[in-house]
Amino acid sequence: MLSSLPAAAIVAGGTDLVVRMRNGERHSYLIDVAGLSEIAGITPEEGGRLRIGAAATHGQIAADGTVRKACAGLALACSQVGSPQIRNMGTLGGNLVNASPAADSLAPLLVHNAMLALEATGGARTESLERFITGPYRTTIGKTELLCSVSVDRLEGYEEGYRRVAKRAAWAISRLSCAWALREEGGLIEDVRIAVGSCTPVPFRPSRAEDFLRGRRREGPVIAKAVEMVADEIREKSGLRPSFAYKLPVVRDLLAEELGGRSCS
Amino acid sequence: MFIGEDLDRVDVLEKVLGKARFAHDLKMEGMLFGCVVRSEKPHARIVAIDLSAAMAVPGAARILSHKDIPGQNAYGVIRKDQPLLAADRVRYVGEPVLIVLGEGEEAAREVASRVKIEYEEIAPVLDIEEARRGVRVVHDSGNLFSYKKVRKGDVEKGFAESDVIVSHTFRTAWVDHAFLETEAGIGFMDEGGRIVIKSSTQNIHYKRAEIARLLSIPEEKIRVVQATTGGGFGGKLDVTVEGFLALAVYHARRPVFMRYTREESMLSNTKRHPLHVEYRTGAKKDGALTAVKVSIVGDTGPYASYGDSVCLRAAVHATGPYEVPNVWVDSRLFYTNGPVSGAMRGFGVPQLALAHESQIDEVASLLGMDPMDVRIKNGLKRGSVTATGQHLSASAGFVETLKRIEPYWRERKRSKKASGFGLGSMYYGIGNTGVANPSRALLEVVEEGRIVLHTGACEIGQGSDTVLLQILLETLKMARAEVVLDRGDTDTSKDAGSSSASRQTYISGGAVRDGALKLKEVLEEAGYYRGRSLSDIYRSLAGQGNLFFEGFFDPPAAGLDGETGQGVPYATYAFATHMTEVEIEEPTGTCRVKKVKAAHDVGRGINPRGIKGQIYGGIAMGIGLALMEEFIPGRTTSFDTYYIPTSMDMPEVDVMVVEDEEPTGPFGAKGLGEPALIPQAASIVNAIRDATGLAVYDLPCNMERLKGLLEDKKKR
Repeated sequence: MLSSLPAAAIVAGGTDLVVRMRNGERHSYLIDVAGLSEIAGITPEEGGRLRIGAAATHGQIAADGTVRKACAGLALACSQVGSPQIRNMGTLGGNLVNASPAADSLAPLLVHNAMLALEATGGARTESLERFITGPYRTTIGKTELLCSVSVDRLEGYEEGYRRVAKRAAWAISRLSCAWALREEGGLIEDVRIAVGSCTPVPFRPSRAEDFLRGRRREGPVIAKAVEMVADEIREKSGLRPSFAYKLPVVRDLLAEELGGRSCS
Repeated sequence: MFIGEDLDRVDVLEKVLGKARFAHDLKMEGMLFGCVVRSEKPHARIVAIDLSAAMAVPGAARILSHKDIPGQNAYGVIRKDQPLLAADRVRYVGEPVLIVLGEGEEAAREVASRVKIEYEEIAPVLDIEEARRGVRVVHDSGNLFSYKKVRKGDVEKGFAESDVIVSHTFRTAWVDHAFLETEAGIGFMDEGGRIVIKSSTQNIHYKRAEIARLLSIPEEKIRVVQATTGGGFGGKLDVTVEGFLALAVYHARRPVFMRYTREESMLSNTKRHPLHVEYRTGAKKDGALTAVKVSIVGDTGPYASYGDSVCLRAAVHATGPYEVPNVWVDSRLFYTNGPVSGAMRGFGVPQLALAHESQIDEVASLLGMDPMDVRIKNGLKRGSVTATGQHLSASAGFVETLKRIEPYWRERKRSKKASGFGLGSMYYGIGNTGVANPSRALLEVVEEGRIVLHTGACEIGQGSDTVLLQILLETLKMARAEVVLDRGDTDTSKDAGSSSASRQTYISGGAVRDGALKLKEVLEEAGYYRGRSLSDIYRSLAGQGNLFFEGFFDPPAAGLDGETGQGVPYATYAFATHMTEVEIEEPTGTCRVKKVKAAHDVGRGINPRGIKGQIYGGIAMGIGLALMEEFIPGRTTSFDTYYIPTSMDMPEVDVMVVEDEEPTGPFGAKGLGEPALIPQAASIVNAIRDATGLAVYDLPCNMERLKGLLEDKKKR
C-alpha cells in the first residue's frame, strides 16, 4: 500500500505527525500502522537479544517486565516521555523515524546497540541505530519502507540508568539526557556504555571515554577524567555552541554522579 | 449559616460535566469568522496595503480597516491612546492592522495570510536603556510614560542612622497570563437592531463604553454579555476581541465569531511588566528598618493599558508589609516597541516582593538574625503607619500570618543536603489605587417567589459567583433554592467594576450586602421571617412597584499627593506569608518546589475551599514566575516555547487562614486573588539562597541561570 500511494505518510501514534500537520504539513494519504500485530509486542530473540515491535508504545515499553530487567534505561526513558497521553499514543518506531535529537529513547537504545529491521515491497534490511539516524530529523528510511522492529542487547546484570534534564517536572522535551550501563568484575569496570542525547546533532556514544573506563577502578579521579573526555568528544562533534555554557557542566556533573555510584558521591 | 462554609461552586456541575459553554464554544447560524491581520514589524509606517490576492480567496467576505471605524479609533482603560486598528503607523509586533471576515475559520485565516502590507521601517526602541536614552522615540511626546513617587521622612538621615545597608538590583521578565481559554467571542445584531457581544472577559460595562465610543452609538444600543470564561489574570481586562466583533457586526450585519490561536494570543496579549528595581535597605543592629530607597524602572511597551496602575502600585507597595520610618521611591515606566505590558495578577507587586523579601533576608543574614524575627519586628500591625502615611486602624493580621508559620519555621529540617527553606511576605491594597472604584448590585423579587441577584461582577474562575451568593444568603437568611444568580449581562446588571485588583469579594460583596440589607428590611416588614411566602410578598411589592433593590459600595480611600505619594490609597489591605521548601539538583541546576505553607489574612473567609483553590493557583503561578516563565519577543510563540508549571510541578500545600476582620468589608472579608501569588516567587528565591548560599536577583531562575550561578560559585 505504501508503495502504491503517492505522498503517503505513516501514522505510528501521530504525536509528532499531527502537530506538524496542524502547522501546515500536507499528505494525501495517511496509513495507520499502530494496530498492526506484526510490528507490535516485545519478544525475546535468538542470541540473547530482545525484539521490540516498532508499534510498541512508550507506555507499554515502560511497563514491560522484561524491558525493565534487561533494558532498564529504555524503560526509564520511555516512562518520562511527554505526558501519559503521549506515552499511550506515541510509539518507539515513530520516535526513531521522527529522529528528534531530543528523543528520549535514542540514548538508551544506543547503549543497547540497537539494530533496526526495515521492510519494503522490494525486500528487508537491518541497520544499526547509529547509521540509521544521519542528522536532526533525518534518517536513511526510504519513502516506501516501514520500520518494523528494534532489536537490543539484553544487559541483565548491568547497573543501568537514564537521566534527563527538562524545564519542568512533566510534559517537557529533554534539554539533555544521559544513558549508561555498567558492569563491574573483581573491582574493575568490565564493560561500560554511555550515550548522550539532546546535546549533539545526533545522540552518540563517547567511545574514547568508554574505552578509557574499561578495566579501570570505579573511583573519583577515574570518573572525573572520563567525564572530561565525554565533554571533549561533544565539543569535537558539534563545535562550540551557546547552549554548551549550560550543557557541558551538566553532562560532566550528571555523569560523574551517575557513574560514580555510591562510592564516589 | 453560609459564611465560612464550603458552599459548592455555582458553576461546578456544568463545568465538570462539560456542559458549560465557554466563549470558544459559541456558535450561531450564518456566522462569519473574524481574524486579525497584525503588524510584523516592531516600528514602521504603513506604506501600502494590497488586498487583491486576499479578496480573491474563496470565502472572503470583507476586510475592515481603521477607515471603517465610525467613532474614535482609540481605547484604553486609563488613557485612550491605543488604536483598535493601526492607521498609518505600527508600534509593536502583533499590533492589529485589519480585520478579515470569512465564511468559516479556514477561509478567514487563508484570506488574512494573503494580505500584503508594505512597511517603511522606523528604528525601534527595544529595551529600557534605549528608551531612557531617548534618542529614538516611540511617541513624539518622548519615552517617559509614567512617573510616581513616594516620599516619607528623610531617607538619607535614615541611612546615616543605620548599622547595615544592603543594596541590590533585581530584574524580572515579560510574563504571559497563559489563561487556558484564549481570547474569543461572538457578536450579532438582535431583533431590535442592537449590537450584542458575548465574550471571554473580566469586565462588561467597560467594554460596552469602549464599543460605544468606537462606533459612536449610544450605550443603550449595545449589550455586552460575559460568556463562561476560561481564565483572565488581567489579560482580559483590556479590549480584546470585543471591539473587532462590534465593528464587524456593525458593517457585516451578520453574526461574527472570533477566537485567537495560542500563537496569536501570546503575540498580541498584554504582558507582566519587566521591572528593574534598585533597592537599598538600612537597618539597626536589632533588626529595625531605618530607611528604604527604591528606584523602579519598567518597560510598558508602546501603549498605556494598565501601565499607570502598575507604576503607582509598585511604588506604593515598595517597602513590603513593613513599617519603615524613611522611604523614598521613584517609579518610572518607559515606552518601548516591545509587547504592550498591562495588568497581570498583582500589578507590579510580585516583582517588588522579590526585591523587598530578598533584602529582608539579606539584612537578617548580615545581622545574624533569623529572617522570621526581622519580619516580626518590622511587620505592619494595627497602629502602624505605611509608606504613604496611612494609619492602619483595623484589619492588619500580618504578624498573625507570621505567627502561624513560625512553629513550622523554627522546626524546619532539611530533607536532603540540597534542600532549603524560604519565607516570603506581602501586603496588598484591595481595589484600585487612590481612586473611586464602586460596585453596584441589583436584587429583584420575582413572581416565582425567588430573589434574583443581578451582578456585573465577572466570574473568571476565581469563584465570585459563589462568594456573592453566600453573602446574599447569609444576609437574607434564606435557603439556597430561594435565590437565583444572573451574572454578567449589561442589560440586567449595574456596573460592578472589573474583576481585578482582588476587589470583587470586598467591593462587589459589599454592594450585594448593602442591597440585601435594604431588601431584608422590606422582607421583614412584609412578614417573610414570620413565614409569609416570597410569591405572596411579590404580589404586594409588585402592587407598590417596589421589586428592585440596589446595593452600592465604594471603598473609603482617597487620592495620593502627586509629589510625595502620601495619602490613603486603599481602604484595606490583605497580608500573607508563605514558607517554601525547595530541593536543588546541583548537577542540572534544577529547582523543585516541595512544600509550601501559606498563611493569609483574608479578613473573613467566605468560602474556605475557594480560598484554598485561589492559593493553590497562586502558588502554581508563582512557581512559573520564579523558575520558568519568560516571554522573549521573536522567540516565544506558544506553549512549546513558553513553559508553565504542570500538576507535577505542584508542591504539597498547607493553607492557613487568618481572620482579622475588616470593618468595612462584607462580614469582615477582604480579598485574596492576587495575594495568593505575590509572595510565592520571593519565598522560592529565599529558599534557593538557603539551600545553595546563592543570591538570585534575576527572574526567572531557570535551570540555565541557576546552573550558571552554581558554576560561578565553584570558581570562586
